[in-house]
Amino acid sequence: MRQQYGRRSQVLAGALALFALTIVAQMTRIQNSPEAEIFRQRSEAYAYEYRTFYPNRGEIYDRKGRLLAGEKIVYEVGVDLNIMTDPHAISFAVADTLGMDYDGLMEVIQNPPEGLSYLILADYVEAEQALYLQELKKALNREAPEGSTGGLTGLQFKSHPQRSYPENALASNILGFVNREGLGYFGVEEKYDSLLAGNPVTVLAPTDPNKAFEIPRAPDGTTLILTVDRDLQSAAEDILDNALWEYGARDGLIAIMNPRTGELYAMAVAQRMNLNNFWNYGAVYSNATEFNPAISMTYEPGSVMKILTMAAALDSGTVTPETTYLDTGSILVGGVTVQNWDRNPWGLQNMVGCLQYSLNVCMVTLSTQMGAGTFYDYMDAFGLGHLTGVDLAYEAPGRLKVPGDADWYPVDLGTNAFGQGVAVTPIQMMSAISAVANKGRMVIPHVLYAMVRDGRQHEVPEQFGATPISEQTAATLSEMLAVSLEQESSLALVPGYRVAGKTGTAQIPIDGIYDSAQTNVSFIGWGPVDAPQFMIYVWLERPTTSSWSSETAAPVFSQMAQRAVIILDIPPDSVRPQLASQ
Amino acid sequence: MNIPTHLPNVNRMIHAYRVAPWRVQRQWIGGALLVVLVFAMVGALYLNVTSRTAIAGREIQDLTDAIAASRQASSDLQTQLAGLTSAVSMETRAREMGFRPVEPDELEYLVVPGYVAPRAVDLSSPSETQLNVLAIPPEYNQSLLDWMDERLMSARRFQ
Repeated sequence: MRQQYGRRSQVLAGALALFALTIVAQMTRIQNSPEAEIFRQRSEAYAYEYRTFYPNRGEIYDRKGRLLAGEKIVYEVGVDLNIMTDPHAISFAVADTLGMDYDGLMEVIQNPPEGLSYLILADYVEAEQALYLQELKKALNREAPEGSTGGLTGLQFKSHPQRSYPENALASNILGFVNREGLGYFGVEEKYDSLLAGNPVTVLAPTDPNKAFEIPRAPDGTTLILTVDRDLQSAAEDILDNALWEYGARDGLIAIMNPRTGELYAMAVAQRMNLNNFWNYGAVYSNATEFNPAISMTYEPGSVMKILTMAAALDSGTVTPETTYLDTGSILVGGVTVQNWDRNPWGLQNMVGCLQYSLNVCMVTLSTQMGAGTFYDYMDAFGLGHLTGVDLAYEAPGRLKVPGDADWYPVDLGTNAFGQGVAVTPIQMMSAISAVANKGRMVIPHVLYAMVRDGRQHEVPEQFGATPISEQTAATLSEMLAVSLEQESSLALVPGYRVAGKTGTAQIPIDGIYDSAQTNVSFIGWGPVDAPQFMIYVWLERPTTSSWSSETAAPVFSQMAQRAVIILDIPPDSVRPQLASQ
Repeated sequence: MNIPTHLPNVNRMIHAYRVAPWRVQRQWIGGALLVVLVFAMVGALYLNVTSRTAIAGREIQDLTDAIAASRQASSDLQTQLAGLTSAVSMETRAREMGFRPVEPDELEYLVVPGYVAPRAVDLSSPSETQLNVLAIPPEYNQSLLDWMDERLMSARRFQ
């Protein structure tokens, strides 16, 4: 009996073993069959896929944390040709919703490029339009049975970010813009493109979940905080627009900077563009220098330059504020007679009167007394003819002709002293004159306040330029300019705040001859004089109501300063001692 | 058949087989089953770990996509909010509500003891957790051998 069981067990064990061996053999055969190779190749085709990662471009904020440039979601609308059932319905729906050409869409869908199974019909589609198409697809697909015509099966939507500027045209000249390829143009967007950019990255990513760690991460761009104050920028643009209309000026700008740190609070220009419609750039501007004239436009500064000439004369010891001279109304320099703005003699004047009445003859006297070497050394130290280093794209260096240059003539020593024959940019003048407001040390104008990356904010350290004049000279000249404004009862004065500044009326050279009827007017001023917190530069091109800056640019400065002290929370002169005593 | 009978073990086995042949068979079968059982257990464990790894990997993929989508949605909403509170929008709304820009002579500067106006915004977020390798649990990047090695090491440590 036991032997029988044993034999049966052996037979059963043998049969099971044979069955197991058969399974193993069959598995081995299948694994090595030609069909298995085909399946392996197919699976490898699905093992990796091209994926495009769209990291967020760094945002841009103003100094109070208001978003100036961010990201919004837009859609790529495409069609999967493998599952598409009704090209007519898709073409009609897309053409009708997005305003595209129906025939063109049909042509593309029915005759796709060789080997393509997915076609992009439209990109950068606004969210509302994409959502409408998605709802339409759902509704039509409910009506149309699977595989039948009339549905939008195959229509696909992929979201991705696009640069968006919630303030539209505000500060457009500072921000610049980003095109659809993700490249920054002009302003901060171009200057800090490499920091801001989190450019889309297309990689071969594994679909195998065991290889999830191989999926690359495209790091987001760095967020920037600017020194710009949105409210002040908005106010500056409003005031500038009103000034252009009130004085009949063709063009103009207002720039506001902290003369102690170089932080640019605002930079308003006349021609601004809605950055969300960046493709209109060519219609708004005829060349790149028009995008931000505050840094790109070179011009003759006119009498504003007298601040630098006087600073050089005081610092070199050529004159003191009390030094007098007899103004005869004209002076010969380099064989050319230079006259005052009114062509009249002003008699005995000291240096305060020289600035107060903006006397050209006085300036020529100073520059010739200093000599070309000293005068141009100072102008070079003030940075004329050099880039200021402002962190915005397309800054122009200007031009300061010096003895030895082929186009320098002895008369230039005289005319340069009162702002003719020298090409500067507005930002250059602000940087140079900041030395007077900042104890003799120039600042480097900048718009970047801080960077935020991985949740940490890194503030940009303060940077300073050259020190062309002494602290004593700066204080003396500030006082002279403040007194000259007060004695003149200038329209630039700001109630409650003592300010220093200078008008500039520059005749416009036309075919080499200065046209006295057409002028560019400007005013640069800062305050409070004892502890400057703002410097404002106003420039207007060819005002028609008056050709004098004292009647045009000066009141604009005052208006702007009155708004600035409110927005920047600067206490009046009468209150500041109380704060200091606390 | 010539069987070498001079070996004691072999003699013992032959004797045992002759007395109760099923005992030896049972020992062989038991041994074979034990081997199969061990292989089955290791296989099941490996399958379990592999499937959990695959699920975790898929979850990582999904979460990565979800994080990216959330970030984009957050940026989009932030931009929409900024548009609604833009300088032009706020000024328009203020005017509609009857406000007007203040004139300088209507202002009085009040000194509030101890108040220091903020210089500029601080957007740093110290609470933001940073995803790094140390923060990922070992289950997500440890192989079966690594796990066994770690267990052995920890067992030795506590001996």
